[in-house]
Amino acid sequence: MTVHEYPARRRRGWWLRNPRYLAFQLREAGGVVCALYGLILLNMLIQLRDGESAYAAFLNLLRTPPVLYLNVVLFVLVLWHALTWFMLIGKAQPIQFTRQPLPWKVVFGINVLLWIGVSGAVVYLIFGGM
Amino acid sequence: MPDSEVVFRVSRYRPESGGRPTFQEYRIPYRSDMVVLDGLNYIKDHLDPTLTFRWSCRMGICGSCGADVNGRPRLTCGTYIRDMRKGAVTVEPLSNFPILKDLVVDFDDFLDKLASVRPYIVRKDWGDLSKEYIQYPEDVDAYRQQSLCINCMLCYAACPVFGASPEFVGPAASALALRYIRDTRDEGGAERLARLNTKTGIWECTFVGECSVVCPKEVDPAAAIQTLKFLATTRHMRRLLMPGSASR
Amino acid sequence: MRSLAWNPGRQTVHADVAAPDEVLLEPVFWSLFSVGGFITAFLLPVTLFLLFFAAPFHLWPGDPAAYATFLAHWKEPLVRLFFFVLIGGSLFHGTHRLKFMLMDAGFKGPAAEALLDLILNGVAIFGSLGALYYALRGWLF
Repeated sequence: MTVHEYPARRRRGWWLRNPRYLAFQLREAGGVVCALYGLILLNMLIQLRDGESAYAAFLNLLRTPPVLYLNVVLFVLVLWHALTWFMLIGKAQPIQFTRQPLPWKVVFGINVLLWIGVSGAVVYLIFGGM
Repeated sequence: MPDSEVVFRVSRYRPESGGRPTFQEYRIPYRSDMVVLDGLNYIKDHLDPTLTFRWSCRMGICGSCGADVNGRPRLTCGTYIRDMRKGAVTVEPLSNFPILKDLVVDFDDFLDKLASVRPYIVRKDWGDLSKEYIQYPEDVDAYRQQSLCINCMLCYAACPVFGASPEFVGPAASALALRYIRDTRDEGGAERLARLNTKTGIWECTFVGECSVVCPKEVDPAAAIQTLKFLATTRHMRRLLMPGSASR
Repeated sequence: MRSLAWNPGRQTVHADVAAPDEVLLEPVFWSLFSVGGFITAFLLPVTLFLLFFAAPFHLWPGDPAAYATFLAHWKEPLVRLFFFVLIGGSLFHGTHRLKFMLMDAGFKGPAAEALLDLILNGVAIFGSLGALYYALRGWLF
């Protein structure tokens, strides 16, 4: 007589079983969207080289309503990637400045403040201020 | 005196006949201080002696009683029925493991993975065994958190990467590897990092983080794996760029 | 299927199994992914906002992406460096995530992984080199 083990298998909708799994999937999607924007920005530089009409055509494409709203959705995913990145730094604390790891929410808060500062610096140093 | 009753939906699986797991319902008397394990033991003692499940210490230290309770990996001895939502308490075997019978899963694979990270002090030369190895409190603090692991495998049940890739070394084995790497008495860091610096090692991990959420002893295996990624990377870069230097 | 005599605890744990081979490039790409994570988290939101959303939604005085405006800033080496770093970081970060998403979805095994490595890291490397080229073009050559 033989006995049978029931094989292990991961459920299909595993990432819908709790909110943290869903947040993880959205975070991963946000990461992939970053690469998509990397290619979009690269294409923008290519169009910049090609001259004003090519550049303006590309920018207008990104700003026409269906594409613009898609961009808004993708932008939200990028924001989620940024926020979850700050949380992950808090949870992993790869480089510790203190003897014991700090509570992750403190590290998250510090990173958010840094983010605001860096964004301000980018506005003035890269895009010429308001 | 029981205040009321509670319904337990328990997964049953018969290895002799195979097929698929099914649910069986039991109505049991309920007291507000009961944990899920109490319910399972009541079923076995009074209603159905064929129900099979693992348990031992009933105080959250042996790591035997892991199960999926209402969809989430928990220790049945540490899960109060009153904390479950109203309605039936559903008990299933731990996710991601093959089922032997009812709530009992096969974790031989985990024991192999644990052995592969050499979870004991490794030294090239033990020297004079009558000599005491001095450790200061801060030395113990460096590995205390990872040493709390009770091998309950809730983290493996929670990990979707392990669910899809059973060859992944997994959270607990990695955390225990770090526990020994960080122990000042140990000299086996290089060989453990070599084991973890593989496709089935820490590089499978995508930092979902659910392992640390379900861990009953707050070992935080997710953070341990990210630390191991750094350690493995620095060792790897040193070996690539400076071949012949010390391997640690 | 196993014999009824099989006892799960009877077999010796296989502690002597040879360890699998160490990876070669994964730590390198993971490091680039990590640095890219910082770069995208800190620099991408404000950049996307100013270039793609500020003007269409009237949230900013002027349009930072307008041809003349952007071209004027493009003369500065810092701006060129900024975009090279941002594009490179975004590509290495996102392609690494995509690789793991695809493998998780079932694109597994040594052949599949080698193909993904080749294509995705190829995109990241060529994209970064392209960004470097356009950053240097008009400045160093």
